[in-house]
Amino acid sequence: MAGVELLSDQGYRVDGRRASELRRVQCRLGVLGQADGSALLQLGNTRALAVVSGPHEIRGSKSKALHDRAVVNCQYSMATFSTAERKRRPHGDRKSIEMSLHLRQTFETAILTQLFPRSQIDIFVQILKSDGGNYCVCVNAATMALVDAGIPLQDYVCACSVGFVDETPLVDVCYAEEAAGGPVMAVALLPRSEQVAFLSLDSRLHEDHLSGVMKAATVACRDLHAVLSRIVKETLQEATAGE
Amino acid sequence: MKETPLSNCERDFVLLAVREKKRLDGRQTYDYRKVRIAFGTEYGCCVVELGKTRVLAQVSCELVSPKPSRPSEGVLFFNLELSPMASPGFEQGRQSEMAIEMNRLLERCLRSSRSVDTESLCVISGEKVWQVRTDIHALNHDGNIMDAAVIAANAALAHFRRPDVTVQGEEVTLYSVEDRDPVPLTIHHMPLTTTFAFFHEGSRLLVDPTRLEERVMEGRLLVAMNKHRELCALQASGGIRLLQDQVLRCSHVASVKVLELTEIIQRALENDVQARKEGRCCGLAESLPVQRVTVACAHDAVVNNEEARRRADEVVKCAEEPADTEGAVYHRGPHTAQVGEGLVNSWVVDDNEPKSEEEQEEAMDDGDLEGVKVENEEVEELSDDSVVILETQHRAPNVVQLSDGSEEDEVIILSGKDLMNVSSDWSRVPLSVPPC
Amino acid sequence: MASTGHGTYTDDEHLVASVAGVVERVNRLICVRPLNTRYNGEIGDVVIGRITEVQQKRWKVDTESRLDSVLLLSSVNLPGGELRRRSAEDELAMRDYLKEGDLISAEVQSIFSDGALSLHTRSLRYGKLGQGVLVKVSPSLILRSKTHFHHLASGASIILGNNGLVWLQPANSAVEAGGFVTDLEPVPISEREVISRLRNCVIILAHHRLALSDTSVTYCYEASMAHEIKDITKPEISEEILLETRQRLLEQRG
Repeated sequence: MAGVELLSDQGYRVDGRRASELRRVQCRLGVLGQADGSALLQLGNTRALAVVSGPHEIRGSKSKALHDRAVVNCQYSMATFSTAERKRRPHGDRKSIEMSLHLRQTFETAILTQLFPRSQIDIFVQILKSDGGNYCVCVNAATMALVDAGIPLQDYVCACSVGFVDETPLVDVCYAEEAAGGPVMAVALLPRSEQVAFLSLDSRLHEDHLSGVMKAATVACRDLHAVLSRIVKETLQEATAGE
Repeated sequence: MKETPLSNCERDFVLLAVREKKRLDGRQTYDYRKVRIAFGTEYGCCVVELGKTRVLAQVSCELVSPKPSRPSEGVLFFNLELSPMASPGFEQGRQSEMAIEMNRLLERCLRSSRSVDTESLCVISGEKVWQVRTDIHALNHDGNIMDAAVIAANAALAHFRRPDVTVQGEEVTLYSVEDRDPVPLTIHHMPLTTTFAFFHEGSRLLVDPTRLEERVMEGRLLVAMNKHRELCALQASGGIRLLQDQVLRCSHVASVKVLELTEIIQRALENDVQARKEGRCCGLAESLPVQRVTVACAHDAVVNNEEARRRADEVVKCAEEPADTEGAVYHRGPHTAQVGEGLVNSWVVDDNEPKSEEEQEEAMDDGDLEGVKVENEEVEELSDDSVVILETQHRAPNVVQLSDGSEEDEVIILSGKDLMNVSSDWSRVPLSVPPC
Repeated sequence: MASTGHGTYTDDEHLVASVAGVVERVNRLICVRPLNTRYNGEIGDVVIGRITEVQQKRWKVDTESRLDSVLLLSSVNLPGGELRRRSAEDELAMRDYLKEGDLISAEVQSIFSDGALSLHTRSLRYGKLGQGVLVKVSPSLILRSKTHFHHLASGASIILGNNGLVWLQPANSAVEAGGFVTDLEPVPISEREVISRLRNCVIILAHHRLALSDTSVTYCYEASMAHEIKDITKPEISEEILLETRQRLLEQRG
């Protein structure tokens, strides 16, 4: 977009970060009592609440059940007050359904579903405040909720979005950078093996820059992993202090 | 209707073939199926065939008021319809998750990458803009609908012509096709997708999966790119874990594939323009491949079989006469008879050795074959519609003499017409001549 | 070389935790026990469940497990003695014995290959639950012990279900759960107060992740006597009660 300088000559971005700097991560586990697992995660100004229930008996039609693994059911929604302009439908539109599908595909690879035949795992994610990187925040929040629910995972799933401006990858883009229309890549990574569980890219990016952007995303995801695992460890230590 | 589940043997077979780097249709790993692009008589109508997968795209346009957020830009709309016509597995009416994902991918691929100049679609800023709608229908599903749909959408958009308009002050004049030549859209670039299917935990990949391969695959990576090697969309989904190098390798393969596909689309567009200029008939009906018999009645034709006959005669003449030329037929029991005593067994080196039972039988068989040869020769003479008499080889006795004691003790004279059936109706000749 | 227990998997010969929790090792077997998880049934566990479905010859029971558990008609004690044959009439009358929504206590008899539990109630201790209070806690807080049925000194009895459901009932309920009839006599107010106090005690114990046993519940109950029932769950008071409970538990252990 004309007029907005996404990366200043000094190397600062619109919100004052460096190109490879993540936004502040805050996370709390077990915020809801009823669910098997829940997490509230905030990345900069984007905040998401993830709730996990299961594994439990299949709800709805029994024919969905798989004899060798669990069904993963995801629902993504955006609170009507999450964006600057009030949303009319929190979920059920094309973008939300696509997002739900992507979340499901991401977590089907990460959850050890083969341990729970014939059962179902529900993941509900709601964006409470949206400021760019919705998919990534949802993935991170859902991972934390799954950890809280004690569901076996292959590894943490850490997701991060990366933009590309002036030959420089911008890590963890905010809404202003997303809306500028440049390329944005969202990567969900299993950090231990560096395997990509999900990958999507929008807008134009020259093939020569692909490897640079992916590398930046990998580094960002590993940074996120360090933060998330530290939070989990702290929570665990707190909880087991009494035992 | 639910799709019929794949049988386990089929699945194992495909997986094994993939492991051995083979594909059921003989393609190589990175090969596309045959791409055929045909345009309709109208502008903006296009059918793309990718092997047996077939999709139809139709572009249409109308004047609408623009979105408040973008007052000076036209509206692009894409819709991919997966009807049960393409595959009974697709549901009628309600859009499945798969359809929604594909629609979103189409939008991301074509709209977000700004392949069509939307600003040139503006008529009066904030009031009237063109809405260009691309409807894509899957007609037949044999895997990889996505790539076919993107090719069709690109080709249809490039082929499309919108009516011309002029603005004078507040007045908008819309010209019909007869008044002014319609104008093409401004296409910046053509983003084309390449689909990679992954098997065996991501260790094997294939380009352009067929339906069978799609059903077996673990996940897919979709790379949309234009010929300037700019990635327009990228999506890995469906439960696979990839490594970074794999993604880079795929994007490299895609850059080559996209060049080929762009070339094909350009050529198809040029051909269509050429055809229209020359006034040749164009359109979908003309482009359908003719795969049927177009003549209803058969014509008589003289076939020269002189050569064949001559050679057959030669063979017969050259053939050594068997030792036992007496075409005696012995009756050996009900429905069983023997012609002659058989030939001298040339297999036996030592003539003095007494013939074993087996050898005798062998010799007998040879004799039988002799009979068959005779019959065949007669059939050859079918062409002259005269009455032919079934003969033995040495042609001396014109009648087949059956040995006495036979139940059907008679002389058979077959006419040419009867002989038509001889080959299939050996039983009419009471000889133990097995149709070999 | 360690062998993989629950909560771990091997990946290129490395043992990796698949859940976040406490590492437990028995000889060479390494397990990771998550703090919060669904109930993982084992044979012999005492569970409390809720009937969700009446099917042919069996009831489906929700035991907060990964899949619904099964209570076969042949695994219950029907009125009229142990050796009674199950007739077609019994099958028709299944809903008279237990219907949807009934709470039962039962024991895990066997585990199916998909992880579903098969229950039985072939003891007078098990059966339909009548009047009382159900508290839901994390299953990891209930340690497996010799008995899960306790008569507390306070004059109430408690069933600590291994699946994280705790049942509190008046001690003198005429029939010991047992059969299919429930005592519906009004419970006197004093007993109700005892049960309410116990409930709040169980809740604060669980909230602070203290393992539930008859001792911890009794100590907590006794420590709470200085406060009103409704105040127990208030943060500052619960802290105080728990401090005392913890100390007494330590004294008892040490």
